[in-house]
Amino acid sequence: MANTWGYGAMTNSLGDIQNAKAIIIFGANPAVNHPVGFSHFLKAKERNNAQLIVVDPRYTKTAAKADIFAQIRPGTDIPFMYGMLHIIFKNGWEDKKFINDRVYGIEDVRKEAKKWTPQKVADVTGVSVEKLMQITRVYAKSTPGTLIWAMGLTQHTIGSSNTRMAPILQLCLGNMGVEGGGCNILRGHDNVQGATDMCCLSHTLPGYYGLSEGSWKYFAKSWGVDFKWLQGRFKSPKMMSTKGFTLAKWYSGVLAGRPGEDKIHNAGTNLKALFVMGNGITSIAQQAKVKEALDNLELIVLADPFVNEAAILTDKKDDVFILPAATQFETSGSVTATNRSAQWRYQVVEPLYESKPDQEIMFELAKKLGFYDELTKGMLIRENKKSFKWPEDATDEIARIIKTIGLTGWTSKRIKKHTDNWHMFDEVSLRGFGPMKGEYYGLPWPCWTETHSGSPILYNIHRPVKEGGMGFRNRFGLVHDGVDLLAGKNSAPVGSKVKGGYPEITAKNIEKVLGIKLTADEKRRIGKNWKVDTSGIIAQKCMEAGIAPYGNAKARAKVWTFPDQIPMHREPLHSPRPDLVKKYPTYKDKPNHYRVDTKFMSKQSEKDWSKEFPINLVTGRLVNMNGAGMENRASKYLAALSPEMFCDIHPGLAANYGIRNGDMMWIYSPEGTKIKVKARYSYSVSEDRVFLPFHFAGHFQGEDLSGRYPEGTKPYAVGESANTVTNYGYDIITQIPETKGGLCRIEKA
Amino acid sequence: MSNSTHNALSTKIGRRSFMKMAAIAGAFGATSAFASSNVTRAATEEEVKNPFPGSKKVRTICTACSVGCGITAEVQNGVWVRQEVAQDHPVSKGGHCCKGADMIDMVRSEVRLKYPMVKEGGKWKRISWDTALERISKKLSDIREKDGPDATIFLGSAKMSTEQAYYFRKFAAMYGTNNIDHQARI
Repeated sequence: MANTWGYGAMTNSLGDIQNAKAIIIFGANPAVNHPVGFSHFLKAKERNNAQLIVVDPRYTKTAAKADIFAQIRPGTDIPFMYGMLHIIFKNGWEDKKFINDRVYGIEDVRKEAKKWTPQKVADVTGVSVEKLMQITRVYAKSTPGTLIWAMGLTQHTIGSSNTRMAPILQLCLGNMGVEGGGCNILRGHDNVQGATDMCCLSHTLPGYYGLSEGSWKYFAKSWGVDFKWLQGRFKSPKMMSTKGFTLAKWYSGVLAGRPGEDKIHNAGTNLKALFVMGNGITSIAQQAKVKEALDNLELIVLADPFVNEAAILTDKKDDVFILPAATQFETSGSVTATNRSAQWRYQVVEPLYESKPDQEIMFELAKKLGFYDELTKGMLIRENKKSFKWPEDATDEIARIIKTIGLTGWTSKRIKKHTDNWHMFDEVSLRGFGPMKGEYYGLPWPCWTETHSGSPILYNIHRPVKEGGMGFRNRFGLVHDGVDLLAGKNSAPVGSKVKGGYPEITAKNIEKVLGIKLTADEKRRIGKNWKVDTSGIIAQKCMEAGIAPYGNAKARAKVWTFPDQIPMHREPLHSPRPDLVKKYPTYKDKPNHYRVDTKFMSKQSEKDWSKEFPINLVTGRLVNMNGAGMENRASKYLAALSPEMFCDIHPGLAANYGIRNGDMMWIYSPEGTKIKVKARYSYSVSEDRVFLPFHFAGHFQGEDLSGRYPEGTKPYAVGESANTVTNYGYDIITQIPETKGGLCRIEKA
Repeated sequence: MSNSTHNALSTKIGRRSFMKMAAIAGAFGATSAFASSNVTRAATEEEVKNPFPGSKKVRTICTACSVGCGITAEVQNGVWVRQEVAQDHPVSKGGHCCKGADMIDMVRSEVRLKYPMVKEGGKWKRISWDTALERISKKLSDIREKDGPDATIFLGSAKMSTEQAYYFRKFAAMYGTNNIDHQARI
């Protein structure tokens, strides 16, 4: 998504969905996963007569509220959307002006769409021709339309193509940068957006600055530490700029070198120590591998308010530490909602028992490891302080440094003021009134300056930049294949000094693009470009000229650095359709993918997996739980709503295996693993697939491990982890695991 | 009155045990025994209106999902006594799902970790924070020394605050590795 138009984030807001005339949902189940957010969808239906379309492998609770539901085969969203585009182009329903002015590379998409006739789409996706036509007509004719997705779209080997396909569909219909439109990803956990923005990620620094030496230098300077010192902390300058292991595949870092394991490239060493803070690693794919990795580490540290069930899963006998971390209600700080709005989470009570907030654990460890002063110095710089106040000085440090996504305006003072006045904002537009007039709730980023309003709708050229308007980001150069990548005439945000496209603003081009003269003093203080200009001059001058600091370019349908320049359908590694695997094979194996040689083709072509494992396996969430579920299973009341692990199975499928409702059943995966769960008859799944919730742990391949919980810490519900049987398979770009399109075999237990 | 009720009455009375007693008394239908024991006094006018006099209401945010619903937490003497929906919150408008409605119980769950522990010889052992951090940092330093900083991986969280997430990233950088990730990957 970031590769299409600049930022990988929800473009509009939940309240704005009320402005939509049509809502199409791919692989998301907000009625269960975001119930309160879903109330805005229902209001769109009630107040705006919006059509709700759900495309999902399961008849979910969201589907139950839909006007039209299409039960799609897992992993075939790209053919489905190309099918929609096929019909749209054929009928001339696309927004030609929008495409012409604001999109690059749609011709290639047009060619590919032509191949996906409704008949062909029906064969691949399992959705009938009539239904595809009905959905396309309703969606294309009811604009603005909003497109929603979640993990059902991303957790595939082609996840990063899926998340480009959906924006392309929206671009073609001119549904971007408008009220009631947008690509609205529903984030899972409460602060996925904030933690991602801060880049607790192995491939980039906070604010998506990347890992280049230039970026490290910017951060070293901003943190107030010597670059050479920081570089010296790494094994080598090269490792400093090398992407690390991911959460999805860190286990390979431990297991590499054993027979059959993927090879790694990790500065000549395997992983020996694991330090986890607030991460339910019992809910990631390949649990058997995760367990084996845990068993072979030298040190495991798990900091959480509850027992992290990695401690229960492992057979490791020594050096497993569990630290009682405080809950988020026992500390304070900011949190970024799915729509890029910040809120202040005020502390409710002091930490209970001996628990400590995460930052204290980090700080005390840093003291012992000898880099506490360097770690915390960034908080002192802004006001040249002697000591810091957590978390306010950290919030302000972030605002001082992170320009890429426009966090300059996110000072602790402003965020608090918004939360203190949350009753002073409109639910649909997020506009403030009274003392909050001129600002949007939570200052959705980019919030370019300390007086900026925030930007509730990304890429909206119908508002001035200082009121949240902007075009698409100029992120991919100025020209490609001889075509100008800047936006066309008359597609600048209203009130802009420049009427068409313009490049991202640098110290070099600012005078020319903005048509201004800088003073000698400004010339001395200005940073090299808008991303590193801590002086604030670029942002300030841009606001005055109605210019977005990041430029005004075209979105691109074509990503020339990706293996598939435009999204292409490729079957999952484990597909129930061997005939289609031949036609739409996966990628070649990818060496050194986040330090791991990752299998694609060699896995897919190893054998016809569907012979032995004929049933599709889909995982997802329950309304009463989230993530690995430890938090919720530690609540008597929530645990009581789903006290045991189960498998949703169609009675027709179950009958073939002699499985009755409530019987125990085995599920076997192509990885050679198995789980024992209770069968629950359900018509929400069709006869070719089963569904598993992924919130359980404490059992492993039929064995009850719950005797391993330290006294008094066992949750009120334990069970098999669905991820013990999810299949091998990782996205070609992000390495997200393919948990939403695997295979399995079942048997009565 | 049964023995257990009698024992409960003779122990030191805190707010929680008082509540328990009230429940026990109710269960035994022991209205006469309880009412005449001089344990209760007449409620003041304020107490009749508000069971938690002097409490303060804190605006905070649900930790379940990314919708960011408002929560009104009522705190009395440092104890989170009641959770209310935020009717006036611009996104949640008084809505709560079952997870959100139960935030208060996450804090006061009886199965929370109460102190640091280490597994030794396959058995869990309670240790002090100081011992825990001393031993962990020693081990992290040794591994860093022997195998290099890339022998460690840090897994952070989408349930951290933005500030904590930022500092976690910085922590890994200063330890000297890019082996750091969190749930956004999955």
